[in-house]
Amino acid sequence: MKDKIFSVLQRIGRSFMLPIAILPVAGLLLGIGSSFTNATTIETYGLTGILGDGTILHSLLMIMNKVGSAVFDNLPLIFAVGVAIGMAKKEKEVSALSAVIAYFVMNTAISAMLINNGQILENGEIAESVLEGTITSVCGIQSLQMGVFGGIIVGLGVAALHNRFYRIQLPNALSFFGGTRFVPIISTIVYMFVGILMYFVWPAVQNGIYALGGLVTGSGYAGTLVFGLIKRALIPFGLHHVFYMPFWQTAVGGTMEVAGQIVQGGQNIFFAQLADSANIAHFSADATRYFSGEFIFMIFGLPGAALAMYQCAKPEKKKAAGGLLLSAALACMATGITEPLEFSFLFVAPALFVVQVILAGSAYMIAHMLNIAVGLTFSGGFLDFFLFGILQGNEKTSWIRVIPVGIVYFFLYYFIFKFMIRKFDFKTPGREEDDAETKLYTKADVNARKAAAGQEQISAGEDSVSEAITRGLGGKKNISDVDCCATRLRCTVHDAARINDSILKATGASGVVHKGNGVQVIYGPNVTVIKSNLEDYLEKAPDTYAEAEEAEETKQEEVKNTDTEKKVTRRIVISSPITGTAADLGTAPDEAFAQRMMGDGAVVTPEEACVCAPEDGEVAFVFDTKHAIGYLTDSGVSLLIHVGIDTVKLNGEGFEVLVENGQKVKKGQPMLKLDLEYLKANAPSLASPILCTELEDNQRIRLLKEGPVKAGEPLFEVEVLNQD
Amino acid sequence: MKSFEYTIKDELGIHARPAGLLAKEAKKYSSVCMIEKGGKSVKLSQLMMLMSLGAKQGDLVKVTAEGEDEDTAIAELEKFFNENL
Repeated sequence: MKDKIFSVLQRIGRSFMLPIAILPVAGLLLGIGSSFTNATTIETYGLTGILGDGTILHSLLMIMNKVGSAVFDNLPLIFAVGVAIGMAKKEKEVSALSAVIAYFVMNTAISAMLINNGQILENGEIAESVLEGTITSVCGIQSLQMGVFGGIIVGLGVAALHNRFYRIQLPNALSFFGGTRFVPIISTIVYMFVGILMYFVWPAVQNGIYALGGLVTGSGYAGTLVFGLIKRALIPFGLHHVFYMPFWQTAVGGTMEVAGQIVQGGQNIFFAQLADSANIAHFSADATRYFSGEFIFMIFGLPGAALAMYQCAKPEKKKAAGGLLLSAALACMATGITEPLEFSFLFVAPALFVVQVILAGSAYMIAHMLNIAVGLTFSGGFLDFFLFGILQGNEKTSWIRVIPVGIVYFFLYYFIFKFMIRKFDFKTPGREEDDAETKLYTKADVNARKAAAGQEQISAGEDSVSEAITRGLGGKKNISDVDCCATRLRCTVHDAARINDSILKATGASGVVHKGNGVQVIYGPNVTVIKSNLEDYLEKAPDTYAEAEEAEETKQEEVKNTDTEKKVTRRIVISSPITGTAADLGTAPDEAFAQRMMGDGAVVTPEEACVCAPEDGEVAFVFDTKHAIGYLTDSGVSLLIHVGIDTVKLNGEGFEVLVENGQKVKKGQPMLKLDLEYLKANAPSLASPILCTELEDNQRIRLLKEGPVKAGEPLFEVEVLNQD
Repeated sequence: MKSFEYTIKDELGIHARPAGLLAKEAKKYSSVCMIEKGGKSVKLSQLMMLMSLGAKQGDLVKVTAEGEDEDTAIAELEKFFNENL
């Protein structure tokens, strides 16, 4: 149960990533726009001639300012659509449309209820009895102020409806409205009632949220500390997005009146104040307490930890470790993405992570105490610090105070890390035992791999990284769904026991987090590319489990290793001629077949009495003893379909031949009829090898199906490799 | 070119398994090895063609080898036929 909750929370968390990704851009527009239209800034730097009122640049900056604000103003709708897309399993575009419709429907229903009950007067004004700020304009509809929660309710609900109904079949007369078209319809109906329900429920929820917000706000610095500790501690689980979002975006994080509007959530308050900065003396540190502290440990603290780890690396490994740590530290400082750096020590030395959580958590409190009010869009990197701290001026943000605190933090991290690494001999990057397999993956490694994979993809879609990830996750059949957030690949699998961490790590991952059937593989900011490649790969990959027997796996690996370097230029799919159970040729109960003396392919143990043509082609010959057929497909593959083992000795008993030598046949056409009873009784085994007899050196077989197979379903494919 | 003639003694003839072994054997040599039965001649190394000959007990086949290592090839192949077929 707990694992299931984790898996759902994880999906919700990652579905936030798409709407969150727009925030930095919107923030940039708003930040630049408002900074350079600020009359004080313009005067201070003597730029009135270029940027003053009436200049073209000024108009342009004003537009940027408004455009950026538009994104923040409409975040609920953006979240509704983003979450619906993120949570929908398939046909995501339909859930997006449905979410937009449902969002309008819900708010309109609420609005109508408000009018019916006199809270909104006929002339459109809000009745005096209504509590200030509880009714607001949502995309032009006067509705209850639900903030981002409203969007999330729509997104999650629509996605649930979508996943339930997108394949629904309606009676013939209504079939036009079936399938995905049913999703917007049902969403409209459901959300009309959700809207009515919200009219009654939301005011209570609102009170609860205000109370919770009041509690956090009222608890002062201690509340900030607790928030910081929890947020940092959730990072390894990837659940931090679920946790901080309400504080940033809803009334849980506090409410404030800015420019005559009630604004909810720390981040929203900051940006509302930013848009109205001409009238604000100092941005509210009570609002920015949920993020201003991040600058302290992201720009200063963690890089100190990176330096300590670098200095503690073994001399011969310093260069490699330095590459990794430097890139991770730069990412952290510039963009505030801390995962690459945190994960470099989290798994090998959890004690260091505890230090990180405590130091980072208290940074939030210190920033709050020092009245530092530097806003951010996504995370506390230098870009945001520059835009929303330095550019806004020290009078409004107190950004200068970040620097001395930051310097202290730098040394704190540096000395604590150095001391603990030396004292407890933690195996941070560059300190691994030489024989240990924990190879250090620098970015260059991953990039080289990716470049190679990319090239392959252009030619034929072969992608060794994705293949390895698929194998590490236990095969395509084991993968339920795949998604990613800023730095990690988030997957849900059917059977967590099939996951192989070492294969996953060998693909360039810096760590693997398991929780029930949820798996997170941490790669770093390039994870979106890895995810897309993996999805492309999975479209074509065989729907099987990765082989469980490790030994066999490695054996085959060695043999195939040289081949995997080459590009696959062509794939020829061979379908099963028999309905039955498919298996690797190595399982054939006959040495000669199992050792692939006659060629490579698969074994199918028949359960139905018919041997059909696997593909369009020609019957090359039928053995006089009727137990085997030589077959040449139109795609040029020579096949031997050998029914049963040692059936040559039956001298034709139990077989009925329906074709003749040289006959052209179509896929699925019956070729042999089997007397299964007789064969079971008289042959050592019914296992029937189906194999390619004339494989060239540049051709290899890949099994596409194991377990139950129907005649005509893909069985294996011949991969033709580029010969150089 | 070297050659020998052979009458199949194995009661099952050149069926799948021996054909596989034979084709494998023939591939070891750089010489072109052929097998002829009843006027039809095929490459020994091509398993599919070899099987399609359908050589059975009592059939007379002629095996030929032509190329650099034809001497070894023909000697080894003759040995293979004697031992397996």
